[in-house]
Amino acid sequence: MSNPVISVQNVSKAIAGRSLLFDVSFDIAEQSLVSLIGPNGAGKSTLVKIILGLDRRFSGTAVVRSGERVQYIPQVGMADQQQLPLSVYEYISIATSRLYGAKSTAVDFADTLAHVGVSPDTLHQSYTSLSGGERQRVAIARALVGDPTVLVLDEPLAAVDYASRAGLYELIRHLQQDHHMTVLLVSHDIDSVLPLSDQVLCLNKSLHTDCHPSAFTTANDVLQRAMHHHC
Amino acid sequence: MELLTLTFVQYAFIGGIAMAILTGLLGPFVVQSRQSIASDMFAHVALAGIGAALVVGASPWWGALPALLIVSTLIWWLLDSGKYSPDALAMFFLSGGLALALGFVHVARDTVFSFENYLFGSILTLTLTDLLAIVGATLLVALVVWWLWYPLIGATQTPRYLVPFRHTPQLVQLFFFWLLAIVVWVGIKTIGGLLIGALLVIPVLTARHWAASFRQLVLLSTVASALSVVVGLLLALYVDLPPSSLIIGTAIALFILQLGAGFKLTRS
Repeated sequence: MSNPVISVQNVSKAIAGRSLLFDVSFDIAEQSLVSLIGPNGAGKSTLVKIILGLDRRFSGTAVVRSGERVQYIPQVGMADQQQLPLSVYEYISIATSRLYGAKSTAVDFADTLAHVGVSPDTLHQSYTSLSGGERQRVAIARALVGDPTVLVLDEPLAAVDYASRAGLYELIRHLQQDHHMTVLLVSHDIDSVLPLSDQVLCLNKSLHTDCHPSAFTTANDVLQRAMHHHC
Repeated sequence: MELLTLTFVQYAFIGGIAMAILTGLLGPFVVQSRQSIASDMFAHVALAGIGAALVVGASPWWGALPALLIVSTLIWWLLDSGKYSPDALAMFFLSGGLALALGFVHVARDTVFSFENYLFGSILTLTLTDLLAIVGATLLVALVVWWLWYPLIGATQTPRYLVPFRHTPQLVQLFFFWLLAIVVWVGIKTIGGLLIGALLVIPVLTARHWAASFRQLVLLSTVASALSVVVGLLLALYVDLPPSSLIIGTAIALFILQLGAGFKLTRS
């Protein structure tokens, strides 16, 4: 693959003799939608941290192409009773500070919200009062304000009810295809990501090959291969 | 009301309201970052600074400021390394600060000095110089919070992950620690090092259910904090109890009142 957006080569990481990742290599092409899947403890979060530059203690190389603007959308948790009030406007505004690398602050939040399918009327409501699906979409809106070329989404379905999932994936697909973004999806919801992805990376500490989704017949097939290291 | 014409009483009110603005401004960030115990840790570090100042013959209160700024930077660096849990570090500096303070005071052989004023506050003994320093510190903290408003919300809500490849959240957290150090420094002179945490946290808990945004929370917390200071100080003029305990007592009463009001609203 010539000049990939993200290139991970021979990445290994161990802590106290315990291997977290072993010799992981893959490339992600421009404007592709790639799913990183694997069971709990497979090393997905560790790998994402390495790609985002948040973890530098590893061997191998993990490079994001120069000039790319990466926005990470962390897992949106379930409604947290202990969280202090924060309006949707404030939640999105966090990303607009120049200190946080926003390219431009002249973004119409109402338009951005409408674009991700959330009513602009929610702008001054409390972020915690929204449903899981709405919070996930608002999190995507916040990332869009940073004018990204690469989106990394961590478990985007974790707090989303089943009925809202199709719409959310449609939105992610729309961002990738119509806005020419490269998307890396981290998920253990294999059923949902399989038909959506251009490329599937099955990780269970190591990643033998990365595969086109047509290589799998069922979600269970993917899981079994990930579990047994022969993707 | 004649008492209100006395200079030391007026200084106490001005210093107290400055303190309320400081705690109202920073309290929501402290609670959001789940580092409420940090103010207690900083207060004990301040005691070590006070002790060191006594040894070299400097002003104890001013001696606390460099100690707070240096150690808050050290704590930030240790926390950022990810190797130590926040509660273990809190106990390390809390006990370590106190031990150092006791040692320094013993070395200084100052028989008149008592930690009590700094532990429980001495708001009725503020001088004009103290007051100017407190008002200056309040303006500085307000300016930095205004300048870093959204980065501070981001760094205390979702540290690190929001901004890949940039050190902004970590640096903003360092600024947050310095702001907290300044608030504690003002706190040891006014309400007391052991009680400043109460004024940082209780008004936020009082205000949180009545606010729909972080901005509203800061405003309501500041109002609750100022109300506690004013009512507490007014009571202290007529009741023979320490001002600090009356201020915190009022803050607790306000919290209980809003709990009752919230319960009544839910029932109706």
